[in-house]
Amino acid sequence: MNVEAADLTRRLGRTQAVAGVTLTVDRGVYGLLGPNGAGKTSLLRMLATVLAPSSGRLRLLDGDPGDHRQCKAIRRRLGYLPQNPGYYPRFTVVDFVEYFALLKEIPAARVPRAVAAAVERVGLGDKATARLRTLSGGMLRRVGIAQAIVNDPDLLLLDEPTAGLDPEQRVAFRALLRDLGQTATVIVSTHLVEDVGAACTQVGLMDQGRIVFSGTPDELTRRGEGTDAAGDAPLERGYSAVLTEARA
Amino acid sequence: MGVPDDVDLDRVWVGVAAQVWRRRPHRIERLAAIVLRSPGLARALTTTPSLLPGSLIATALILAVGSLAARETGTPYAALLAPVAAAAGIAYSYGAGTDPAWELIRATAVSDRMILLVRALAVFAVNAVLGLLASLASGAATVLTFGWLLPMTAVCALALAAATLARSATAGLAVGTAAWLVDVASRRLAGGRLGAAVSDAALSVPYLIVAVCCAAVVVYATRTERGVS
Repeated sequence: MNVEAADLTRRLGRTQAVAGVTLTVDRGVYGLLGPNGAGKTSLLRMLATVLAPSSGRLRLLDGDPGDHRQCKAIRRRLGYLPQNPGYYPRFTVVDFVEYFALLKEIPAARVPRAVAAAVERVGLGDKATARLRTLSGGMLRRVGIAQAIVNDPDLLLLDEPTAGLDPEQRVAFRALLRDLGQTATVIVSTHLVEDVGAACTQVGLMDQGRIVFSGTPDELTRRGEGTDAAGDAPLERGYSAVLTEARA
Repeated sequence: MGVPDDVDLDRVWVGVAAQVWRRRPHRIERLAAIVLRSPGLARALTTTPSLLPGSLIATALILAVGSLAARETGTPYAALLAPVAAAAGIAYSYGAGTDPAWELIRATAVSDRMILLVRALAVFAVNAVLGLLASLASGAATVLTFGWLLPMTAVCALALAAATLARSATAGLAVGTAAWLVDVASRRLAGGRLGAAVSDAALSVPYLIVAVCCAAVVVYATRTERGVS
């Protein structure tokens, strides 16, 4: 298993952001759904080795992120796109992706090809030498995705990756996700239920720091059948039904 | 004439694009990559916010004004300004809110602490050179020309420790500046000379202790967070 978490918790000040998450994820695309403040971002940050758990057990890519050497090895095989990645306005698209290729310690000789492949994969070939300050929000999001996949990660963590993308770009991105999920573990945190339905093989629903549902998108859809749960689509009704049940 | 079936055009194009977009690093970056034995760390060094041209010009201007004022009045303003200018550069060298891609960098293989260390040392070295030039230009006595290096180290270490603990460059700068102002003012009140803080040899040991303690705080605060596993 590429991700094994057992009873994982994280306190942020007085808030229990993650309250005992147990999760195992292997190859494929795992969608992490949930309302604002459910703990999705904190969980993703722990999986990205940016935030240490307060308690519980966590193993990533068969390594222990609490061990310095193993953490470094994990990070070489990790791709991460936070909610607000931050960009250097004077960098070009290639400069930015190359910077992260170097920080991920891709051998120098392989960097140019890895960068070109990542930039092409997110459809930014025609903007490769454009400065980041000249790009739209959706393009910047794709630059963020390019840096996340530049090292061909075995574990890819994406926090709200489709925010700011137009419908056409979202369709292309879902295809990219499905492609990446063939060889890697991809965990996508999102508010958009339709992204999960279109691209994810597994889905987890978080609420108040816990995973209250884990299964396939079809199983989540079935949870909404025959109920009066709110939602315009079957998957949304499943989402609402599980949340209502969890809070009852 | 068509393309042979066994030719993957996408692959060919990526190879071409890799060559076209390839960027030759600046000489300084290439040298840093050899010295640091890490191209990633070298690139992180060249993106230090407080080593960008705007920041360097501002620092040089402050020290030049201090140098001119020192020549006119005989008070070692350049020596008194140098520690604060360096502390500002150090506090703004790396961290949340200072480096735009801080969250992204933290998830990469190159160590956070190494980036902080390399950037802080580079900023310190650049400010030390600028400060020395300003001090020499102000015509100060030799004791004053070099006397501020130790207080500068202490103030920089304090600013870095505060910035690291508070995760705020502004907090680091505020603490470093306030401490230096209190130090200069208290020496002025005790000895009657404004330059006592940079010329009194008896202060060397206290400055050294402050620098070492603050460095220890930074090392502790930037340790790899060890989660349970």
